Amino acid sequence: MSGERISTCSDAEVKGRFARLWSHMNGDERKDVVQKFAAVFSLMALIVVFSVTSDAFFSVGNAMTVSLQTTSIALLGIGVTVVILTGGIDLSVGSVLALSGTVAGLLVKDGWPIWAAMSMGVLTGMVCGCINGFVVTRLRLAPFIATLGMMLIARGLALQLTGAAPVSQLGEAFGVLGNGSLFRTLSVGANGLPKVIFPGIPYPVLIMIVMAIIVAFILRRLAIGRHIYAVGSNEQASRLAGVNVNSTKMFAYATSGFMAGICGIVLMSRLVTAQPNEGIMYELDAIAAAVIGGTSLMGGVGTISGTMIGAFVISILRNGLNMNGVSSFIQQIIIGCVIIGAVYIDHLRNRR
Amino acid sequence: MVAPAPIVEMKNIGKRFGGIHAVENVSVELRPGEVVGVLGHNGAGKSCLMKILSGAMNRTDGTIMVNGEEVALANPIEARHCGIETIYQSLALADHLDAPANLFLGRELKTRFGTLDDKRMEMEARQALRQLNPNFKNITDTVLNMSGGQRQVIAIARAIYFNARVVIMDEPTAALGPSETAMVAELIEKLREQGIGIFLISHDLNDVFDLCDRVMVMKNGQNVGTHAIDEVTKDDLLNLIILGKLPDNWSPRNLVAS
Ligand SMILES: Nc1ncnc2c1ncn2[C@@H]1O[C@H](COP(=O)(O)OP(=O)(O)OP(=O)(O)O)[C@@H](O)[C@H]1O
Ligand SMILES: [Mg+2]
Repeated sequence: MSGERISTCSDAEVKGRFARLWSHMNGDERKDVVQKFAAVFSLMALIVVFSVTSDAFFSVGNAMTVSLQTTSIALLGIGVTVVILTGGIDLSVGSVLALSGTVAGLLVKDGWPIWAAMSMGVLTGMVCGCINGFVVTRLRLAPFIATLGMMLIARGLALQLTGAAPVSQLGEAFGVLGNGSLFRTLSVGANGLPKVIFPGIPYPVLIMIVMAIIVAFILRRLAIGRHIYAVGSNEQASRLAGVNVNSTKMFAYATSGFMAGICGIVLMSRLVTAQPNEGIMYELDAIAAAVIGGTSLMGGVGTISGTMIGAFVISILRNGLNMNGVSSFIQQIIIGCVIIGAVYIDHLRNRR
Repeated sequence: MVAPAPIVEMKNIGKRFGGIHAVENVSVELRPGEVVGVLGHNGAGKSCLMKILSGAMNRTDGTIMVNGEEVALANPIEARHCGIETIYQSLALADHLDAPANLFLGRELKTRFGTLDDKRMEMEARQALRQLNPNFKNITDTVLNMSGGQRQVIAIARAIYFNARVVIMDEPTAALGPSETAMVAELIEKLREQGIGIFLISHDLNDVFDLCDRVMVMKNGQNVGTHAIDEVTKDDLLNLIILGKLPDNWSPRNLVAS
């Protein structure tokens, strides 16, 4: 049934090649392809609709805005996906991001070099993740509780350290990571003012792509990645098969903390201010991105590419609705419906 | 005929959970190519005893020798190093992974770059599974979509592939239909021919008489009797299982002869 839809929309040459590929796939791979197509298709549909309804939507400038907005959801989403794959959940990433960013900001204020301060920020995120992992694997608390605790602790710490005030005047160099671009080309126009020939690839987008590739590689090609899926599908079986379940989970939470740390320094760098109040509720966007991208909250099922698509869906939806003057209240309603709809479709497909 | 030396000797094994003796002072041995049935009521301690041997549970008392050497068996990995493989009561497979990934779970084959060698794992798995069941198709489906029999074949293939010398089967046919049960019986025969020793936990006395060389009956955590299969009748075994002793007038009788 799903095969027909795809084959009718391709031309003969592509069709032949696709049919051959298709015939070599088994049921699950086909399901996966169909899902990816469906997700990419809805993404395209969104873009088309918004381009028609708003003049400003389809432009290079707005594409930049959207990809930058996507980066924070995606960076957090990638980490959270790894945790969800093991059958856990990480509610702390929004707060950990704030703590990481403020630690980096405060250290810069303290005279640390930017790179060292930012590394400490990322390390802070990773330590928070390790603590989550410790509480889940050693103290044996439910991941929901463990990371809920960390969510409050990290936020409280960020507010306490900064006295709840933004840390500003961090210097221009602090903003490079968040605002700079690779291959940005300027030419001096006739009037003597610089003219942008190519806006470049913003560093945050670059970081997002690199991190997505690295984590996808770990999940697909390394034993630890295989173990993450195994633990999420049957923890007991994995343990009996000789998989070190605790260190696998530890790795997942540490990765999530690490990604939150990266997200924290990128965001604060973009603002050139360390905001202890940044990232509130971001964990929910990250989880939503994973879920829209086909990650099962039961564990064992999900991909990084899916989460990336999910992150794009959320940020394009937000951006497009903004451009069309839809109020933020209505936006919440729509995104809520999208999450429920996406998971319901996923549910139907898996039930068959 | 001189009996070969035992591969496994469990001596005075005990396991306590707080005040409960799940296993108490149980001794049993297993020889190459021998199938030993482990019988008993629900909660008799069969699974506990076997989990101790497979490293999934730590014993509180007793010693275990494998090939004449004392071993600790502190975890499943150590047991595997001793050549002990287990097929668990609840099939221990990761549902969302495919057959090769399950077969090699925890012992993945790697390329020289340290990445997963999925091609080789698939090839080897195909071979191992086809050996046991020539009709095994679509091995790259997630095992979630496979029948109970196919899943059992994967579990058994896992044991064989890694050159097990001892295989523990905890009610391997409990979740299977009649034809799949027959297939598993065939597989047990194959394992025995390769000189592998098997502990078989079963509630089905017919299976036990078909497959086992010896039986050990447990009751309340204790070994209430170990017998060659041809010196007992079904009624004798039921007596042991339910009452913990043989009928008063019992004497070893050779049923094959009679
Ligand atoms: N982890 C545990 N903690 C506490 N008690 C346990 C534990 N595991 C088993 N027991 C107890 O040990 C006893 C033996 O259990 P075991 O699982 O070995 O029984 P069994 O003979 O395999 O039964 P069945 O035929 O139902 O599988 C039971 O009384 C059980 O309640
Ligand atoms: Mg049992």
